[in-house]
Amino acid sequence: MFLAIDIQNLSVSFPAPTGTVHALRDLTVAVAPGTVYGFLGPNGAGKTTTIQVLLGFQNADQGTARLFGKPVTETIAREKIGYLAENPDTYNFLTGRELLTMAGRLFNLPASEIKTRANQLLEETGLASAADRRIAGYSRGMRQRICMAQALINDPDLLILDEPTGGLDPLGRMDIRRIIAERKKAGKTVFFSSHELSEVELACDRVAILSQGRLIAEGPVHELVAPGENLERYFIKAVTTATPEKRP
Amino acid sequence: MSKIITIAGVVWLDMVRRKELSVLLILLATLLAALLSFDVFGLSQVTGYVKDMGLLAVWVLSWILAINTAVRQLPQEEQRGTLIPLLAKPVSRLTLILGKWLGAWSITCLSLLCFYLTVWLAVWIKGGTFNLVTLLQAILLHAAALALISSLAVAFSTRLNRDAATVTTYLVTSAAFLLLPRIPAMLVEAKGAASYTLFTLYYLFPHFELFDLRRRLVHDWGSANWVTLAEILFYAMLMTLVFLSLAWLGYRKRRFSRGDIL
Repeated sequence: MFLAIDIQNLSVSFPAPTGTVHALRDLTVAVAPGTVYGFLGPNGAGKTTTIQVLLGFQNADQGTARLFGKPVTETIAREKIGYLAENPDTYNFLTGRELLTMAGRLFNLPASEIKTRANQLLEETGLASAADRRIAGYSRGMRQRICMAQALINDPDLLILDEPTGGLDPLGRMDIRRIIAERKKAGKTVFFSSHELSEVELACDRVAILSQGRLIAEGPVHELVAPGENLERYFIKAVTTATPEKRP
Repeated sequence: MSKIITIAGVVWLDMVRRKELSVLLILLATLLAALLSFDVFGLSQVTGYVKDMGLLAVWVLSWILAINTAVRQLPQEEQRGTLIPLLAKPVSRLTLILGKWLGAWSITCLSLLCFYLTVWLAVWIKGGTFNLVTLLQAILLHAAALALISSLAVAFSTRLNRDAATVTTYLVTSAAFLLLPRIPAMLVEAKGAASYTLFTLYYLFPHFELFDLRRRLVHDWGSANWVTLAEILFYAMLMTLVFLSLAWLGYRKRRFSRGDIL
């Protein structure tokens, strides 16, 4: 059986005015199917770069990345994934239902399945009554939810979320938690980056912590965090030990 | 193919919902009013002038529409932040380019039909007529020219920002329209490097003059040879494929949102 995510010795760098920026250095991450995996790190640690590599937007200098055994550079690798960007934007001139229909067509789903899935997702995300309104008139939380529904239209085996709770109110965060829990219950994989460590602690089976492009800790949450501690304290300790300049 | 049509459909919805087609209606009304009020030196009944001016206006307006519609498609996706969620689906960059080009070209073709209909109406009101077969041939060739122009605009927009791509497409297409037919005459006098340069430009740039049947329509010369027409359509298809391939080459390895990555 293939790993949901298989990253081996991945390095990515960018040319910058101040010299080369090493966004990822020799990163190796393996995510088994059915896992809820938290991908953590301070700003600039390389989390979004990793996600960009997984989505095929970013080329690696060296190393490999595969989704369910397929190289991320192949379009087919994205057949089984759903993705929700940080601060997602979408086509404001479409209605919620049209957006989901468009997304379903891009996954080559049959029309009847698109209709059923769209109705189901609109119900689940609490957008059924606004389904035929243009997204331009949606609130920020509603936009986040329609983008989440779009990411789930193909019932993905792997859901990649980049800071999914950023800027959401407590109810919005609860919705995201519920969706993650439902995906886990259905045996699907969720890979998400977040700064909300309490959310991560609640939702994740395993976590990886990145700092300055390097993996500095990885494992099940209960093994990393000592009894009486919490993930936030562990995170701060791990990051400041690995990169002393991050120490307050 | 269904993914390409889906992306083209989004281009259509974008144009319709943003009421950009209302610009077309304004242009059509202006064109009709201008043609009907055309009365220089008391020649209002000479329909040849109406045809000539009307067809010139159709070429200019469709040229502007084709470039402005096609050139903004890809940069617009990046600017509004919808590109990454789109490419995170199983949509290849080639599919995206083809979908955007098809959407832009098809909407320009619809406008083209409306423009020709308006000119036909104006000529009819003035008591004139067009040879319908020649008119059909002219529309076919004009649509093929717009396919080529749209592909060129898309190709430039893969590597340049929207404004730069717009200006470059205008410059290249203007040069092709105005200068290319004169190159054979210039070649007679040119020598050395200038001669090679002109020769290269002649074969490198698209020959838009091949698609222009205006004089045939204005002077009622009758329809063009269908074999020649088919050859020109094949040339248009080939050149469009070349420019779309260049667009894909320019876009396939392109990095996005550098600022957001770190």
